[in-house]
Amino acid sequence: VQPPEKPLQAEEWNKLREDFQLPEIFEEVMLNSMIRCNSPIDVAKSLLTHLAKRDGDIAYNVLVKYLTLCVQQGQVSEICDVYDIMKVRFKILESGAYNLLIKGLSNSDQWRMALTLLEEVKKIMIPSRTCYESCIKAASCHQEMKLAFELYKEMLAKDVVPTLDVLQSFFNFSRGMEGAELQKELFGILLYLRENQIYPHKTFMRSIKLWFESIPGGNWRGHLTSIKDSGQCPVCKHQLEDSNLTEEEYSNLSERIIRDVIHGTDTFRKTSPKEFEAFQTFVENRLPFDIVIDGLNVSHIKSRKMQCENLFDAVNCLAKENARLLVLGRKHMLMNSSNWKREIMKEMQNKADFFFAENISEDDAFLLYATLRSGKHCRFVTRDFLRDHKACLSDSLTRHLFRKWQRGHQIAFSSVFSQQPAFRYDCVVQTTGDTWHIPYKDVFEEKYSYEVPRKWLCIQQK
Amino acid sequence: MQCANMLLRKIVRSSVLPFAAQHGMKKDLFPLSRTLSLSLSLKQEKSCEPSEKLDLDEWKKVMKSGLQEDVSETVSEPKELSSLAAARETLEMWRLAGRAVPENISEEQLKTFMECPSKSAKKKYLKYLHLRELHKKNDKRKMDEKRERRLEAQDQASNTDETKKSSFICVWSSTMDKAYNWRAAQSMIFGQPLVFDMSYEKEMSLREVTNTVRQIVMSESCNRRSVDPFHIHFCNFKDDSLYHREFIKNYREAWGKLLITVTDKCYTEIFPKDKLIYLTADSPKVMKTFDHDKIYIVGSMVDKSIKTGVSLARAKRLGLETAALPLEKYLLWSTGAKNLTLDQMMNILLTLKDTADWKKALEFVPKRKYCGFVNKPVKELKKTLDLMKTLKLRKGREEVEKQFAKNHPKKFKLK
Repeated sequence: VQPPEKPLQAEEWNKLREDFQLPEIFEEVMLNSMIRCNSPIDVAKSLLTHLAKRDGDIAYNVLVKYLTLCVQQGQVSEICDVYDIMKVRFKILESGAYNLLIKGLSNSDQWRMALTLLEEVKKIMIPSRTCYESCIKAASCHQEMKLAFELYKEMLAKDVVPTLDVLQSFFNFSRGMEGAELQKELFGILLYLRENQIYPHKTFMRSIKLWFESIPGGNWRGHLTSIKDSGQCPVCKHQLEDSNLTEEEYSNLSERIIRDVIHGTDTFRKTSPKEFEAFQTFVENRLPFDIVIDGLNVSHIKSRKMQCENLFDAVNCLAKENARLLVLGRKHMLMNSSNWKREIMKEMQNKADFFFAENISEDDAFLLYATLRSGKHCRFVTRDFLRDHKACLSDSLTRHLFRKWQRGHQIAFSSVFSQQPAFRYDCVVQTTGDTWHIPYKDVFEEKYSYEVPRKWLCIQQK
Repeated sequence: MQCANMLLRKIVRSSVLPFAAQHGMKKDLFPLSRTLSLSLSLKQEKSCEPSEKLDLDEWKKVMKSGLQEDVSETVSEPKELSSLAAARETLEMWRLAGRAVPENISEEQLKTFMECPSKSAKKKYLKYLHLRELHKKNDKRKMDEKRERRLEAQDQASNTDETKKSSFICVWSSTMDKAYNWRAAQSMIFGQPLVFDMSYEKEMSLREVTNTVRQIVMSESCNRRSVDPFHIHFCNFKDDSLYHREFIKNYREAWGKLLITVTDKCYTEIFPKDKLIYLTADSPKVMKTFDHDKIYIVGSMVDKSIKTGVSLARAKRLGLETAALPLEKYLLWSTGAKNLTLDQMMNILLTLKDTADWKKALEFVPKRKYCGFVNKPVKELKKTLDLMKTLKLRKGREEVEKQFAKNHPKKFKLK
């Protein structure tokens, strides 16, 4: 339906309604299209007036739609009027209306009323993150940083995840402001990014940079750079944190992987206790390995070649410098077949240790175990992202540890057998007190979860 | 017309009564004066425009009018809402806002709603209740229509009043039941056993258990009606388990009279191990023929969040042979998981037992899951299917590949 351009008289609305195929939902459809076309508010008003005259009442959903239109156009006085009508007519409102009201009011000089509304929402439910966002932005926009931070903390305490937008607004609105307290809070946000392995995007990064440089008497200078493979920052020559886990983290992670990934709810699902025990003794007798290879995964790198040749190439490529290799495979690889030639398998077994699991067992679990058991220096080779195993870990903290460990220890092979090295440094927001290093995404959204940004913001205090 | 409007307004107003007191309370909290002054100035602007014949803010007057009177009329005090009442109130508002929310909700359902761990869980539960309510309403309407039609037909029949003679005896359903029960009783003595493994309660949510039991009830009735029924065993069945409670809900007093064997023992205690075959979609072995001397086990589990390897793990633990239906071999699979519902399994097994015809048996696999039945080796046909799929998805696929190539120059290749 095309909404009319000018307010209509009752008769005209009636006529339109009669021409519409489903008269019962005419008002709803009409208002929806008004919202879509961003029609002048007077047109909607004339429809409401027509409705009110006809029925003596206006349904809640129609009011909410009208409210949407008002919020869309920032008609503050109308928003207030609708709220007055709603709160008299209904005992409580539902989340949609509250979201709209808060969003609409927080952008105006009535923003304090949005805060009162937020309190009202809290009585009946956990406010949505858009509610918090609007209020926080309104507060920080009016330089009430203390209030904004209170709301932000409340939000985190309720497990409502803030968007990058909100975090960015803190930096934008604190620019040039003084105060040790404020500085501490903003550092807190950067640490929040660190803990949750969140990377800011380019514009957010710019806000951070500008804020640092605007701190009165802070003498902070920011530079955009990219970090070398060695992990040294080219600007300040500072060495970034290395990707190794601490002893405690490491033992914690291996424990959890054995518990959640290998055993899970039932050891029989991925392997069997007998097989796992056999594997454990096998590994213990030959420790430590330098590189653990997922044989089946590597054998599929080039589809035109025979699978065992692919594996053979990989083993040869990695076997330099006396590295101790472990190749994990399945029993069917030992059967002489067109893809797995016995002679080549024999030759490979001279260069590396092999463990063959049952055909129905999952070899990835063994891969993780053997690598972790060998120690921090040990790396593993597979193109698999291991997402399914990460998902088996029950809490996000351990999942983060897993990601960090994976980044530091996984070698991915591409088809030309050039290695993609594991990262030596940890790709995360980090500080030494007088320097900050912040990785950022170049484009606003485009990044896969397994990729890490290569661009960094280096901030140092002179 | 005007009179009617006034009357309507009066009715609306009286329904507003309980809210009005609330209004009286809030009025002090919110600065109303500002709104009034603002909208007043706006109105003055409007009235200056000569072309404007409409009073655009009239709807506000209508909505607000009468409320002032109501405030003076009400005496009741505003009460603090209990959490249940508040939830009910919220639901009502959601319903008004046009969300999928049931009209009537029982105390028990409301409690379940409030115990949902997340917002999306709540939404899902409400949608489920809403749809169930709709179905029930539709069913009731259809029943009523049917009844009316029947009454009409009866009227006509009594008018003509003509007795028909037939050489067949009318066989009533109770007689059929007796015949079925006789067959089922025979199967209890001579029939081939079929085991339902009832040890998956912990892996399932309440809804999944309910669905499982419903599927088993359907399987049982198929079995009873067949020419040569299985002797059904429910093994690992614990009294007072969720399964048990759901069965009683479904069967009521018939639960005690079912011609099946229910036991808390494991199948390995009842039957020799080498005769048992655990049917599971995860099995690496594919069933070739139906063996009349073996005892097949079906896991009584519905897994909406697909849990791979749970039943295979159980069979591995007990050292049992496993088998999967040869779906890949006979069907050109298109979409959907390979695990079938329990009643589909039952129908397939019954057909295999009677006819040994895979084509006939696999008719019971839902049509949406496969493209066709094959006699040729599947590998050849698979190529055509892949071709069909790529043709169908080419546009989308190409885009994906382009995107991928852009992001990973020479690093990876799509398989």
